[in-house]
This record gives sequence, C-alpha cells and structure tokens, in this order.
Amino acid sequence: MTRDWWKHLILILGVIVVIAPFYMMVSYSFKSPGEIDRGEGGFFGRQELMVDERCVKLRDPSRDDISTATDRFPGQSDSEIRDALLAEATAECSMRPVVFNYTKAFTEAPLLRYLLNGIIVTASIFLIQVVVALPAAYALAKLKFWGREAVFGLVLFCLLIPVHAIALPLYIMLAKLGLTNTYAALVVPWTISVFGIFLMRQFFMTVPDDLIDAARMDGMGEFAIVWRVMLPTAIPALLAFAIFSIVAHWNDYFWPRIVVTGNRDLFTPPLGLREFKGDGDGSFFGPMMATATVIVAPLIVAFLIAQKRFIEGITLSGMK
Amino acid sequence: MTAVDAPTANPVPRPVTDHATKERRAAWALTAPALILMVVILLVPVIIAGMLSLTNYSLGNESFDWVGTKNYEKLFTRSTYEKMFLATLTYVVTVVPISVGLGLGAALLINSLGRFREVYKTIYFLPVMATLLAMAIAWEFMLHPSIGMINRTLEMGCGTFLENLWPFMAEGCATRFPVWLGDKRYAIWVICFIGIWQGFGFNMVLYLAGLTSVHRELYHAAEMDGAKSAWERFRLVTWPALGPTTVFVVTISCIRAFQVFDTVEAFWPQGGGPNKSTYVMMFAIFEKGVQQNLIGIGSAITMLFLIFVMFLTLIQRWLVERKVHY
Repeated sequence: MTRDWWKHLILILGVIVVIAPFYMMVSYSFKSPGEIDRGEGGFFGRQELMVDERCVKLRDPSRDDISTATDRFPGQSDSEIRDALLAEATAECSMRPVVFNYTKAFTEAPLLRYLLNGIIVTASIFLIQVVVALPAAYALAKLKFWGREAVFGLVLFCLLIPVHAIALPLYIMLAKLGLTNTYAALVVPWTISVFGIFLMRQFFMTVPDDLIDAARMDGMGEFAIVWRVMLPTAIPALLAFAIFSIVAHWNDYFWPRIVVTGNRDLFTPPLGLREFKGDGDGSFFGPMMATATVIVAPLIVAFLIAQKRFIEGITLSGMK
Repeated sequence: MTAVDAPTANPVPRPVTDHATKERRAAWALTAPALILMVVILLVPVIIAGMLSLTNYSLGNESFDWVGTKNYEKLFTRSTYEKMFLATLTYVVTVVPISVGLGLGAALLINSLGRFREVYKTIYFLPVMATLLAMAIAWEFMLHPSIGMINRTLEMGCGTFLENLWPFMAEGCATRFPVWLGDKRYAIWVICFIGIWQGFGFNMVLYLAGLTSVHRELYHAAEMDGAKSAWERFRLVTWPALGPTTVFVVTISCIRAFQVFDTVEAFWPQGGGPNKSTYVMMFAIFEKGVQQNLIGIGSAITMLFLIFVMFLTLIQRWLVERKVHY
C-alpha cells in the first residue's frame, strides 16, 4: 500500500475527472436555481423551501376567486382577500428544490412516455435480433448445406458496415415507404445484427453434435431444436448480447434524431432530453439535470448491481 | 433438457438423401430471414448511397439528374469540406492514441494493485455506460463560462503561485477564462476531451482482459535474461503479448471516433461549432443529407465514410491474421 501510493494518487486524479460530470449532474438536480447560479450549497444544496414562481402566477386570483373566497375571510376588503389568497398560493407552491426539480422533469415534458418509448424500442430491437439471428447462427454452425460458406462470407462482409454510416440511404428508404416518425423506423434498421449472428455461431460451434443428434432421434424438427435445445444452452451468451444491445440502443441518439422529427410521442429518452434543453431559457438547469439523471440512472444502477456481466456484455466485441 | 419431453416417435431411419435434402431446406428456411434483412438493410443502402452520390437527388423531387463525380469534386475543393476532413482527422488522431494510451496505462496501474482494483475499474467504466447525450449536456454546464465548475475551479487559482507558473492562468485571471465551447481555438479540443473521457474505460477493460492472458513465466524468463527494470519487462513481455488486444482496441477506437456525433450536435445544433471547427463527418451527413435535403452530397460523404471504416477494419483483420504474436 505505502509502496503503491503514487499509483493510487494517479488513479484518484483520474477518478475525479471521470466522476466530475456525474457529480455535477446529480448535485444540480438537487439544488435550487439560486444555488446553481451562485455555486453554493455543497452536494445536496441547503434544501430551503423555494417558491415556484410560475405556479404562483397560474394561481393569480381572479375577480371570481376573490368573490367566492369572501365567505372564508369575512369582513375583509377585496385587496386584503387577494393578498391572503396569494399568500395561500405561495405557501402551496413552495417546495424543496429536489422535489421541484424532479416533479418539473416529469411534468414539463412527458418523461414517462419517453422512458416507455425507450423500453419499447430497446426491447423490440433485442427480441427481433434474437429471433432473426439465432436460427441463422444455428444453421451456419451446425447444418451442412450448399452455400453455407457464401452466407457466412456475407456475414463477415456485413460486419464491416456500421449501421450509423448508412443512416442516410436507410432514412431515404424509410421516407419513401412513408415510415418516418413511426416505431418501425426506430426499430427496423437494427433488426439484423450481423454481430449477433457471428457471436452466436461461434458459441453454437462449441455445442456438442450429440445433443442435436439426440434431439433429432426424438423426432424434433430443426425449428424445434433451435428454440428448445439451442436457446437454453445459449442463455449466458444471449445475456451478454442482451446487455450489449440494450446499452447501445438505450443510449443511441443519432438514429432517433434522424427518423423522429417533432412527434413527441415517439421520442426516446435522449431525444426528450435534447428537446428539454432546446426549450429551456437557461433558468431550468435543475429540472434538466433531473431529467438527465433519470435517463442515465437505469443503466448505471443495473451496471453497479451486475458489473461483471455488464463489462462482459459491452466488451463482447473484443472476444475472439 | 427439452429433448426429454419431445414426442418420441419416428424411430425408422430415413434414407440418407432424403435427410440431406431436409437439412438443406431447413438450413435455408432458418437463414432466410437473416439473409433477406442483411441484403435489404445493409447491402442495398450501400448501393443506393453509391448511386445517389452521383446524382443531385432530393427527397420529394420526382426526378433527378446524373451529375457524375461532381459531388465528390465538391467534397475535395470546397473549404467547408476541407474543414470537415480537418475536424474529423483532428478528432480521430487525437482521441485514438490518447484513449488507447490512457486505457493501457490505467489497466497496467490497476493490474499491479492489490486492493481497490474493482473500485477503479467500476468508476472508469461508468462513462461507457452513461448516455453520451446526457453527459454532453452535463459537460456543457461544467464548461459554462461564468457558472461552470471548470472556470470556477480555475478562478480559485487566481492570486496564487499558479499565476506565475502557468501563462494560461495569468491570462485568464487578468482578463477572463475561455468560453470553451464558443471559442474556435478550444471547441474541437473540448470535443476530443469528452471523447477520451467517454472511451478510455472501454479500452482499459479490454486491456485488463488481455493482461490476464500474459503468462507469469514469461516475466521470470525475461528477468533471467537480464530484463531488470519494469520498463524492460514491459517492452519485452507485456507489450508483445498485448499485440492482438492493441490491434483490436485501436481499430474499434478508430471506428467509434469516426462516428462522433452526439457531443457536436448537443453543443452546436446548427453549423458544427464556431467557424465550423467541429464539423465532423457524421454531423455533415446529418446536416447536408437530412436537414438540408442535399442527398447527393450527403451520399458522397457516406461513401467516403464507409471507405475509411472498411479500410480500417480490413487492416485490422489483416494484422490479426498476419501477426497475432509479433
């Protein structure tokens, strides 16, 4: 330990740089606008009650409000009642900054909808990828057929093409089909994962032939073998692939940015955050950072719980 | 496990030819969906991009003209695209070596530690997991000229010895600290910095995996042969053993670096930064092809992009096959 102090020193400096934006993001999501402006309040802010000006303004008492409230404040003049009502509104619109920031994050924009879209899109992408890739991987690994080498060669070639790079022609094709601004547009380009085929094929190569022969003896067809014999053996590899796929598509911003324009109902979490930023007049740092925290949190929390699996999944592409 | 509950009928062995035909049919049926999707989603778009790059097509237009290589000529003559290549190249050439170097450095340091290895590994991997767009916005606040954490921290150094030591500091204290994202001298370097910040943890993890495969005996052997210093041991044993990992890490870092987009779009939704200093290729494809509907130019950039990326991957495959152990 004493001998290693300099290593720890370097690594801790690195940790500070790596953590800084996370620290700031979470910290700002706790603080009031004033504290953010002046840079006070430490990590959690002082959490003094703050008044939501907009909420007060919305509740500005009208003439009707004042006349209906005369019962409650007998014998007072209109302006006195007005002041009393305003005081009430102010009291009801006061809240802790942390509550303010997070409620604003969910009420200013349909954040729940965005999160739901994120789940729908990542889940459908992963499921379709598996449904398409698993049978192909099995055929390429375990079945003998004329053209197998050619198909596998095509898989290797397609590994060279990053989907982001061909985004423009894909966008044109989808636009021609009238599919922009649909869930389909968000999902379709990712339905084929050549990497998934490659990975599962390598995995299936290690499955003993006896297992498959036994299944055939039992009269199972090839389709049944894929889903009832191969799938259960592939669970660990599939789990790693799931993490790889889900992390990539939850965080993806480029593709949704291209095919979804304006239709908020289809926004994925990063798009939602982007729009939140565009809307903000600059005084909305707190709620915006709360939104960012909500979007980043699911994957980070899952990662902290199952680090080994995540690192395995993300670095999958590094396996040979 | 599932073989047990399957119906146990059909014990009669079928003729061999019948079986082979059946297997072939099943194989094609199983690969057909993947095959069709591969062609439609990956190959056809490449061909479409190649063809459209020779036209002046726009979405919504009924017809278009073939313009030959005019789009490509524009790419190599106009100053906008010169800036695009410069920005992309600056980014790749900066981010790849530094993020690979930091990844290797961190892996070596962490690997030599007895305690807290997992803690460092976890923390350094956090940016890889986090939504880059969200983190870009967090960085934007950090870099805010007046209320950002970075300039505030720098201001704390004013009036101390740092001012004498570091001209940048003296200048910043005398007038003001940089506006970072609004300054064309700094913009591209900020983007590079965030790229490195986000990516080096990924490289570190790959190197850590690579280090576990280096045999202990090799170090002993090297010591016997007179490799006394840590540097000698690294040069003679660790670095060659990490060869395959390095080839892979460099390639994947390059491909990722070419695809930088999120940070640029988050900071400068229009135009690609101050004086187009961060006008990277992905952003150019997005701006020209999608926003301005200049499909021809966008497709030409797409084709160049594909050529770069394919070239890199082919070099990697060649290296892996040639000299896995050099």
